[in-house]
Amino acid sequence: MPPPSPAPPPAPAKNVFLLLPDAQGRVGAVTVTNAGGVRTLDTAGQATRVRDAQSAPTVPQVLGQAEIEGLFGAALITEPVPPMHFNLYFEADSTALTAASRDDIPRILDAIRERSSADTSVTGHTDTLGDPKRNFELGLRRAMAIGSLLAAAGVDPGLLDIGSHGETNLLVPTPDGAAEPRNRRVEVTVR
Amino acid sequence: MSLVSNSAARLLPFLALVVLGVSPLWAADEVIGSVKKVVGTAAVLRDGQSIPARAGLRLLAMDTLSTGSDGSLGVVLHDDAILALGPSSQVALERFAYAPAEQRLGFVARIARGTISYLSGIIGRLAPETVRFETPVGTLGIRGTHFAIKIAE
Repeated sequence: MPPPSPAPPPAPAKNVFLLLPDAQGRVGAVTVTNAGGVRTLDTAGQATRVRDAQSAPTVPQVLGQAEIEGLFGAALITEPVPPMHFNLYFEADSTALTAASRDDIPRILDAIRERSSADTSVTGHTDTLGDPKRNFELGLRRAMAIGSLLAAAGVDPGLLDIGSHGETNLLVPTPDGAAEPRNRRVEVTVR
Repeated sequence: MSLVSNSAARLLPFLALVVLGVSPLWAADEVIGSVKKVVGTAAVLRDGQSIPARAGLRLLAMDTLSTGSDGSLGVVLHDDAILALGPSSQVALERFAYAPAEQRLGFVARIARGTISYLSGIIGRLAPETVRFETPVGTLGIRGTHFAIKIAE
């Protein structure tokens, strides 16, 4: 009698969590957690498989391009292009744009047209000098000035999302109370 | 004379906000993003209705994104995060808070099935601990990143 063949290995779990690099090739990290345990992925192409909510996520393995394409190709090819950012700067104590920033306005209009943007944000930012509430309001006044300018240039105001992050979203990280002209901006993001 | 112009002066900033399309901070139906790409059959489920997805469709908090067996869908969220669905997929956008000046940040999506890819945006940069993808087999948390998930039915 021939010896019984060994049982075939179980099929790999069908639920897959995969870490990918961004367009600049940078990699972050993700954790996958369930009742069975926690797994961290921190290398591009690493994947963990999870059989069910009680089974710990598997030891990460790097997937080949063909397998990534097979699993996720349809989603990845449908990812929209990343939004386009413009930082606009102002003359001191003014809602008038610098000459360099005025040159960005036609580029913004082109981007809105080319992408058929239905959603463009105009967000005011300040540096950390001064009171946070005043900075929120200053950012909002400047964002509204740019919103008016874009609307006057023909952009449908309905697709503009005007707001302010005050001093809470710095372009150049600084401590509180620091004057930093590069943070005093209106950021127009065309999606 | 002064009474009329004072009222007008008080009204003007509010009117400007309305004309420029700013939602009040307390709006329940806050726009959180928009559809950019549609392939095949895809829909947005909202308040019990199925809305065929099309490029330019605005997304609201609590929307569910859904694709058919031939469909895929790409959306951009207000914090510049990108979310794409492959075929036969369903994802509920359970929470989207993007107001850094009020310390309100967070994004929670619940994947019922299918394949998704996500490229984190400003919420992921400012507060990665507030970004979560819930699935039937486990929860994914991030540290500013690009990833994909497949949940088999």
